[in-house]
Amino acid sequence: MLEDQISEAEVDPCGARCPRCGEISGPRFNPPPAARPLCSRSHRAMGTEFTAYIDAPEQARACLQAVFDEIDRVEETFSRFLASSEISRINRHAADGPMVTDPEVFQLLAAAEDVSRKTGGAFDITVGKLTRAWGFASRQPEIPDAQALAAAESCVGWSNVELDPAWRTVQFLRPGLELDLGAIAKGYAVDCALDVLRSAGIHGLIDAGSSSIAATDEGFAGDWTVSVANPVDSSRPLCEAQLGGRALSTSGVREQSFVRNGRIYSHLIDPTAHGVETGAPARQVLQATVLAPSSLLADALSTAMFLLGHEKGSAALEQFQGCSALWAYSDPEGIACQDHNGPKHGFLPWKEGNHG
Amino acid sequence: MDKSNALADEASAVADNTGSTMDRRDFIGLAAAGVGALALGLDGCRSPKAIAPSDWVNVGVIGIGSRGQHMMRQMLRVPGVRITGLCDINEARIAEGRKVTGAQTAAYGDYRKMLEAHDMDAVMVSTPLGLHADHVTAALDSGHAVYGEKSMGRTLEDCNRIRDMARHSGKILQVGLQYTYAPWYQEAQNRIRQGKIGKVTQINSYWHRNNNWRRPVPQGGGAELEHLLNWRLYKQWSGGLFAELGSHQINFANAIFGGMPESVMASGGIDYWKDGREIEDNVHAIARYAGGQTLQASYITTNRLEGAQERVYGTGGSIELTHTEATYFEEPWYPNSAIPPEITIQHKLITGPTYSAEQPYHGKGSSPIKGKADDVDLKACESFIDCIRQHRRPAADENAGWSQGVTVALCNRALELGRKVTLAEFLGAPAAS
Repeated sequence: MLEDQISEAEVDPCGARCPRCGEISGPRFNPPPAARPLCSRSHRAMGTEFTAYIDAPEQARACLQAVFDEIDRVEETFSRFLASSEISRINRHAADGPMVTDPEVFQLLAAAEDVSRKTGGAFDITVGKLTRAWGFASRQPEIPDAQALAAAESCVGWSNVELDPAWRTVQFLRPGLELDLGAIAKGYAVDCALDVLRSAGIHGLIDAGSSSIAATDEGFAGDWTVSVANPVDSSRPLCEAQLGGRALSTSGVREQSFVRNGRIYSHLIDPTAHGVETGAPARQVLQATVLAPSSLLADALSTAMFLLGHEKGSAALEQFQGCSALWAYSDPEGIACQDHNGPKHGFLPWKEGNHG
Repeated sequence: MDKSNALADEASAVADNTGSTMDRRDFIGLAAAGVGALALGLDGCRSPKAIAPSDWVNVGVIGIGSRGQHMMRQMLRVPGVRITGLCDINEARIAEGRKVTGAQTAAYGDYRKMLEAHDMDAVMVSTPLGLHADHVTAALDSGHAVYGEKSMGRTLEDCNRIRDMARHSGKILQVGLQYTYAPWYQEAQNRIRQGKIGKVTQINSYWHRNNNWRRPVPQGGGAELEHLLNWRLYKQWSGGLFAELGSHQINFANAIFGGMPESVMASGGIDYWKDGREIEDNVHAIARYAGGQTLQASYITTNRLEGAQERVYGTGGSIELTHTEATYFEEPWYPNSAIPPEITIQHKLITGPTYSAEQPYHGKGSSPIKGKADDVDLKACESFIDCIRQHRRPAADENAGWSQGVTVALCNRALELGRKVTLAEFLGAPAAS
């Protein structure tokens, strides 16, 4: 009666290299050779491609549909691009006074605020207008003129978003503020999708395009490895990581960036900086990868770690339980990596020093 | 909240297009705003801090499935609303519901126990359709205002029971016909009422999905849990695609045509998803209305090119409605066309190259809706809470809900019999199934 199988021919093999193009475009997981084939499907949402790998041949179609329905629900709640989303409603009204929202939205905003506070504002869900001023939102990036940059900077600042847990309200303390949860909502969607699988008693793994990846349980994917993308060479991974029950997220210049006078300008913009930094530094962060207890935290922290770099990032990371990070820097001889948390960081194998 | 207050006198309300009634304040606000700004309650206040303790509304929820959870989130976005009770026979749903409320909300496995609690002003019913009658009538009878999901009831008898209990109890019943509160639907209705597209002769409604409609069942769940989670696929609980997809569009057609259809012909079958389900995977209906108008409705689960949309065809223009917007299309003028003279004059003779001979039109229309809209479910919840506070009748009240629910049941009866069924015949011979 529940004939709901997806045929072998429809099963995507999973591997370090994309079976179609041979390139590694983001974190990819590598099940051990003995693992039985998983059912997988991809789904476009939140500006990326989510892929679900599930161990449920008997009802694969229903499970995959439920997973993608949940991801769509998260997008419909948190996307600033959808007029009917709760985030759009907050953006329309929160400057007028405190407005009540539901516990799920409030909790995600509170989680974002917590990361902002602990990273000194490197992670900031009000940075959207700054990103637009740089042209990254329209995928036509350019150094903005000083006036446009100043105008955008005046509309940014996580501390101007007041959350009142007693009343579950959110209020903008400055007009022009706008929430953009693009750097945390994809990770949250992965967490929610995994909850759907757990509720159905299904083992699986969710991959949110080039950014986040996590599994339902350590027992399912504990001995699997995830290939961490190389920011400059897509033909081979930078290193591998073992999830071990954690979520992995990567942020870097691969997604969007441009170079002017030897300096790389990324779509990940530091909201605490003012004006435009110029000149070619000896080394720049190319990528930050974070392992964290939840996908939303890994997603948010990978952005913050990219902006903070190794030294400040390592200090900030001490405030978060169970997190590790790996930075890849540009280096005269290729790429240099630095990690946080010593030898138990979870990134294996890679050799200290140059990988170029 | 004091539950003993009677509803505002209907005589003070203004009839709206649903055939129901609408508060004068809403109507004036709608007309003034142009896009149908609904009352937020308490003069547009969005902060719960300003709401007096006596104006807080406590809501209990029966049925914590995906729809119930979605509506709980909307309800919790309305200032001054608490969810104080969760009821579901599936314990896993209670845990999910508590995650939505963010609290250890009181839980019940028996809805009668929840209704005996003294901490609720209102009840939201989001259970399988076949249970609406029991749950909605019990909630009304126990003195609560009720938000009952669509369709009103699965059968004619169910709809009659609910309508009669709403009238007998004098309590507020709002049926989950949320597009009643969508600004673009309201504006489209206004334009149609004003004759902007001439005489409406036909509405074509589509809700086309490519989706087997199945939910995953936890490992070892068994047939009973499978039936519970996939209730939409089984006739004991479900009204099939006419109810689950068609309700909003059928309600809209009834509003535009000023009543229920006089007769319905229907067809459909289980033609693709032959997986043990009992309800059809494609259904189609042609409903004829008293004014000589026709509703063509099509609901399928194997292709989504059309998506969810309605096209309202008038002699002087058309309006296309989707879940996010309404678009107006001018009808090109021809000497022997049915375009009313006043529309020809109004548009100064439309002869533009918009349509070409008998070819389908693929060009742009003009959108009548300006501005950005909040979620329609949130608007429906805001209006429900406002009705409780202001003691006024909802737009989607028991009358609108009965018309919609009975029309759906009529479509299903025509589908079941495989022939044209008149409304008079249907009302005179209650459904046996």
